[in-house]
Amino acid sequence: MPDASRWRPLALLGLIGLGAAVTLGGIDELTRSTIDDQRRAYALRAVSAILAGRNHDNDLLDSARPIDIDGLEATTVYTARLDGQPVAAVFDVTTPRGYSGDIRLLVAVDDGGDVLGVRVLEHRETPGLGDRIESGRSDWLEQFEGKSLGNPSRDRWAPDRRDGAFDTVTSATITSSAVIDAVKRVLATFESHRNRVFAESGPANANGPD
Amino acid sequence: MAASDAKRIWRNGLWDNNPGLVQLLGLCPLLAVSNTAVNGLALGLATLLVLVVSGLLVSALRHAWRPEIRIPAFVLIIASTVTAIDLSMQAWLHDLSRTLGIFVPLIVTNCTILARAEAFASKQPVSASLVDALAQGAGFAAVLLVLGAGREIVGQGTLLAGADMLFGPAAADWTIPMLPFDQGLLLAVLPPGAFIGLGLLVALRQKLVNRSRESGLESGASPSPAEPSTP
Repeated sequence: MPDASRWRPLALLGLIGLGAAVTLGGIDELTRSTIDDQRRAYALRAVSAILAGRNHDNDLLDSARPIDIDGLEATTVYTARLDGQPVAAVFDVTTPRGYSGDIRLLVAVDDGGDVLGVRVLEHRETPGLGDRIESGRSDWLEQFEGKSLGNPSRDRWAPDRRDGAFDTVTSATITSSAVIDAVKRVLATFESHRNRVFAESGPANANGPD
Repeated sequence: MAASDAKRIWRNGLWDNNPGLVQLLGLCPLLAVSNTAVNGLALGLATLLVLVVSGLLVSALRHAWRPEIRIPAFVLIIASTVTAIDLSMQAWLHDLSRTLGIFVPLIVTNCTILARAEAFASKQPVSASLVDALAQGAGFAAVLLVLGAGREIVGQGTLLAGADMLFGPAAADWTIPMLPFDQGLLLAVLPPGAFIGLGLLVALRQKLVNRSRESGLESGASPSPAEPSTP
């Protein structure tokens, strides 16, 4: 039976492929909901931590909506509310202006437009130099707390190495500048679209006019 | 399988034919992820697991392999195993899989795994293949762990930073400060530090091998007292 033996390897390869597909399908089914939960938990941990203890009673993750900010990519906004009143907004933004690519940041802004806090979520900046923007490695990010577009004035939102009002991470002027620029862009969008940022979420519209 | 065979296979994987230090296989993840001891250990364990599962499958089906389909079938088995482990890590070791990022999926391209499937598992019984996979995986993981620990100590001045990602919240305070000052030697954490560190490890192993070979020759010349020579 020379013909049959010629097909046997092919049949075996097909069987292995089928086995792999079934196994992976099963594992995907088994892990998918856990992976989703983990991703949500990770995002929630980061967003809650940055709100610095501001009380809120809504589900932050459910409030997530996309928003366009000029010059930033992949932007999402979470809104924190207490009794339906806006308390703060947390922006998840990615700036492409880092020294080695994208830097992903969380920027929390309170009701009045002051920065509550800034956290770096992902980056590929140089270890030992640019990575000192991480909150675990230095307190550089803390200088943004309480700042707003008028404090310092708009044209001073730059690292001090470029005559701005913010400290520069030593030997990482580009990295520092990228983060400062991203926070400034978030604040500018918040200022000009404040009502849209807070209005678009569920409760504000769902209840309708009183 | 005789005990002496198992011993030889273990010695092969851990020392004589270590995948990282002698075969110099799988260098991409080895160099990229070995910036801390925990990262190194985690990727080493993931690689070990892939080696064991793929080795067992390839060995169990060893009578069925034909030259035409051998390589595609091995790659299919290895890629499926890696995907399964990547998904499991995302589900149950989420922070760690974030840190290791692309390097878990990239285990597929680690030549050590295909090399062991081809050179060993496809020709040997299941029990021997299991031992070989464990030995080669342990050898690879050990190099990753030692290189990661060295780079972490010199570069960051800590040891076991981030252990909670692998061992759970209880391990959060396992981090041991190793240097009296804050900033370590930056070079060790950067990519060149990986090459230099691996080079030093290869050189150290070579020196030990040469020394044992020299002393082996000396003791070989005179009959050893422990084993009386047969007439």
